[in-house]
Amino acid sequence: MEEGSQESLPAFCRAKTLVLGCGNILFGDDGFGCALVEYLETHCRLPEDVCVLDVGTGVRNLLFTLLLSPQRPRRLLLVDSVDVGSSAGELFEMPLEQIAKVKEHDFSTHQIPTSNLLRELQTLSGMEVRVLACQTGPRDQEIRLGLSPALQEALAHAVDWLAKEYFPVTQR
Amino acid sequence: MAQTLIIQPVSRIEGHAKVTIQLNDAGNVESARVNVIELRGFEKFCVGRPAEELPRIMPRICGVCPWSHHLAAAKACDIVFGAEPPPAGKKLRELCNSVAYMEEHILHFYFLAGADFLLGPDADFSVRNVLGILQAQPEVGKRVVKVRHLCAKMLEILAGKSIHPQVAVPGGFSKPLAAEERDRLRAMAEQTLALAKFSLDFAEENVFQKYLETVKSLGTITTGFLGTVQDNGALNLYEGKLRLMAPDGTFTEFPYDHYTDYISEHLESWSYLKFPYAKKWGHFSMDLVKPSGIYRTNTLARMNVCDRIDTPLAQAKLEEFRQKFGRPAQLTLLYHWARLIELLYNAENTIRLLEDPEIISTETRAKATPRAARGVGCVEAPRGTLLHDYTTDDDGMITNVNLIVGTTHNNAPINMSVTQAARSMIHDGKYDQGTLNKIEMAIRAYDPCMSCATHRLDGKISLKISIFDADGNLTATLTN
Repeated sequence: MEEGSQESLPAFCRAKTLVLGCGNILFGDDGFGCALVEYLETHCRLPEDVCVLDVGTGVRNLLFTLLLSPQRPRRLLLVDSVDVGSSAGELFEMPLEQIAKVKEHDFSTHQIPTSNLLRELQTLSGMEVRVLACQTGPRDQEIRLGLSPALQEALAHAVDWLAKEYFPVTQR
Repeated sequence: MAQTLIIQPVSRIEGHAKVTIQLNDAGNVESARVNVIELRGFEKFCVGRPAEELPRIMPRICGVCPWSHHLAAAKACDIVFGAEPPPAGKKLRELCNSVAYMEEHILHFYFLAGADFLLGPDADFSVRNVLGILQAQPEVGKRVVKVRHLCAKMLEILAGKSIHPQVAVPGGFSKPLAAEERDRLRAMAEQTLALAKFSLDFAEENVFQKYLETVKSLGTITTGFLGTVQDNGALNLYEGKLRLMAPDGTFTEFPYDHYTDYISEHLESWSYLKFPYAKKWGHFSMDLVKPSGIYRTNTLARMNVCDRIDTPLAQAKLEEFRQKFGRPAQLTLLYHWARLIELLYNAENTIRLLEDPEIISTETRAKATPRAARGVGCVEAPRGTLLHDYTTDDDGMITNVNLIVGTTHNNAPINMSVTQAARSMIHDGKYDQGTLNKIEMAIRAYDPCMSCATHRLDGKISLKISIFDADGNLTATLTN
């Protein structure tokens, strides 16, 4: 295989639209993004040029790959959970400019703020980058699998949002 | 007036790490502490679950080194199920480990730690990052990027996917490697080897020589070391026995499941993270002049504990390294140098495994039967020795779990290196951004994974230095 050829790129670099579900399923509502990807994969039919990935807590590594890739999707959607004081399960789009520009810290990949990478991706690559966020319930103090009822209910609303804003979604 | 400096990246789940530097009345460093938030409740969460679930759950602990957790969990399950993997199963696991290592080490050297060296430690944080490197060294950047893509692709071929791997199972590996896949991987591996060779030459010429004085002075401490070797003393990152080397170079060896006979865990009231230490060396002390019980893991430790490397190019580089710095080498920033020797070893090891005819055998897993047992799985993770210790009941359900991750082993040494760096650079209460960057460089040498469960999207402040007077009053705050 020739160095740098398209075939040598991970499949997600070659999709037209990429949806990344972020979070840690070990922390309850924190795993909303992962749960949405699982829901899409098990309940829905998606266009062939759409790639959905549960990236868990490894999104930075993947964003690095995207940022540095010679070929990227046209559109990138991150789905994540946040705690901004809204009602549990509330969905909203988070403009990139609302995410504070912070020090590009570099202890490890954990500390490379995703927000800055997202901005760089949009600015430098011309990719359309959007973020769909879901307000979490009360923060868990210990490990717990599964979403709270409010966020479980929000999954279907998130699919509706995707169908309206992004690409056709049909139920299996 | 006594002051406290706090370097604190704040994250969504309480933060990753916080550095607190206490100055005395003369403005010199009294103490420096690195606080790390530890994952809570994971052991409790695992109890009562079928052991075979753990290799699938463990990669979720950490988005940075999922392969290491995956493989350590699978190895622990091999033992509790009494299922010895066939040779091809072991080799495929080791192959995945080597490819994942290359992806990690490339990322760390070029795009995490590399920014300090390629752009300079005093460069502004807004450019001291991956994009700054690509602008400063565009040709190097392109080359690195291509090979990193190749590593991700190789893991896709081997495991079906590179994120959240599930391919290692109790008793082996669930996906045999087809001959056609092997051939594709072999061609890719040649490119990873070329980059590994280039990286060492590039770093020796452009980084290590240029910053040799910094290497000799920043974060330097004297400790013992822990790492995995084969029976013949050669380096191995997947399988072998643990070798614990004292600061004078003498060592003792033990199997994984005897680790509690040699390693104890010290607690400090100011840290969530435990402080493992070598209990047969006496009490625990982080005193810089007379430390006790302190050992390090990760790349430098592995280069020190092994007698040799059984791949020719990496062995030649190890010999050069030892001629320059001795054995055991103690300088903290040599972790970077050792990391590149490991990159070369993994590139060679990948080719060696792919050229082994057994790698395409379809016998990749053994039958696993639930039983009551204890199993300790261990791999050398990129960030240090990773131990997974499981106990099961008659039905193969987990009754006890203990984990020691690479960064935890290095908790005490990181604290000591930060203290040394701070004391050597902060005098009379004077410090600046470059000083703080260099203190962080001492931490970065260890490539720590500060907290294995956090991610952030909505973080606001990533670095804050708060200065308190002796009475605890906030007198100044600096933020990036």
